[in-house]
Amino acid sequence: MTKADAVVVFLALSLLLLLYSRYWIGTNAGETARILIPGEPEIEIPLEQDREYTIKGTLGESKIAVNAGRIRFVNSPCTTKQCVLSGWLQNSGAFAACLPNRISLLVAGKALRFDTINF
Amino acid sequence: MHVPFLWYTMMFGLACCWVLFSGCERQDEVHREQIVALGTIVEINLWGVDKERAHRATAAVADEFSRLHQRWHAWEPSTLTVINDRLRKGQSITIDEESKALLSQAKALSLASESLFNPAIGELIALWGFHSDDAPSGPPPDPTTLEAFVSKSITMKGLIFENDTVRSIDPSLQLDLGGFAKGHAVDVAIAQLREMGIKNAIVNAGGDLRAIGRKGNRPWRIGVRDPRSNGIIVSVETHDDESVFTSGDYERYHEYQGKRYHHIIDPRNGYPARGSTSVTVIHRDAATADAAATALFIAGPEHWQSIAEKMGVEYVMLIDQNDTAFLSAAMAERIRFEVEPPPRTVVQLL
Repeated sequence: MTKADAVVVFLALSLLLLLYSRYWIGTNAGETARILIPGEPEIEIPLEQDREYTIKGTLGESKIAVNAGRIRFVNSPCTTKQCVLSGWLQNSGAFAACLPNRISLLVAGKALRFDTINF
Repeated sequence: MHVPFLWYTMMFGLACCWVLFSGCERQDEVHREQIVALGTIVEINLWGVDKERAHRATAAVADEFSRLHQRWHAWEPSTLTVINDRLRKGQSITIDEESKALLSQAKALSLASESLFNPAIGELIALWGFHSDDAPSGPPPDPTTLEAFVSKSITMKGLIFENDTVRSIDPSLQLDLGGFAKGHAVDVAIAQLREMGIKNAIVNAGGDLRAIGRKGNRPWRIGVRDPRSNGIIVSVETHDDESVFTSGDYERYHEYQGKRYHHIIDPRNGYPARGSTSVTVIHRDAATADAAATALFIAGPEHWQSIAEKMGVEYVMLIDQNDTAFLSAAMAERIRFEVEPPPRTVVQLL
């Protein structure tokens, strides 16, 4: 093997590793969800990390929990509690909203296949 | 001689990969912004527009939605409540061209739906407590009161236009444009975006939307929510300019002693319509799609085809209370089920 051969093999392996880490390991890292609040940048959160988030909306604070790759509204200051009754969201595209508090949740998955949700 | 050739080949390959993957890295070119309008969350997706122009366009739509909110709100002081006040007193009222066009369109759609979409029953909707931002509480309306209202057979036929005035033949005719105003607003927003030179957009007002153009080299993809879970039941790709509207029994409801009374009231008996869980309609015009989704929900699994035909709606999916999906033949060609196993499906010709 000449020096040039070695360089070529090195570059090819480097490219392989780069692509693997970027497009394979990265996507295995878990699903994500988006917290959407009008007028604010979207908040993207990983679903592999169990924790609770407190998000301030128009009426007050909504509590959002992530557990075992799922996400849900735990509490919200609305009267109907439809968001809480929506329960756990897991699959890509799953959606729940607290319209009175102007906060919505969308499971984005590894690749969100929809541009928007009709409901 | 082989090594330089191999070297150049690999370098060329690397360069190609770089171009290819740096292209992937450009993220999506969709500008997505959410605003609060019409008492809900409105999401605007724009493709192929720079950030500043997209922001200006979204702000313009927000202003227009706010103006429409002030005109057509059913219970907060608005142009509509002023009209209702005069109708209640048996007086005629002068209306502007915009109001006349909107109310005439609502009347035409109502008549086409055999009054299943009935914007003249504002009094009945109020009786159920749905003229409030909060969920209604307490017992449902008294059956005698409901019967008394239904026996008057209030429909849009009783709304009479004379030149630039409008009056009604019955003071109980009170307008409520729920099931239509949102569609109208979405149509107005799309026209506004087009005037600004925007060709690829989705305006999604609280789950109901109109999409124009494409997302780059592919159509816009819409996920339709499953009425009995938070997942997606079907997906659909829009063609050039289409609205996707769904009416469902899960959107707003009145709960009393463990029993749920949803907000889509059947004007024929005064009670929440039974038989359907959700109806999804695809149509070019959002106002028509909105009115049709309401009318077909009320028509139910047995009568939706004839009403769809009368309203000129070709694409319909109705899910009944047994989770059976009734599809028009045209709709069956357009959707893809996203649940496993897919629900029992009945495809019907219109």
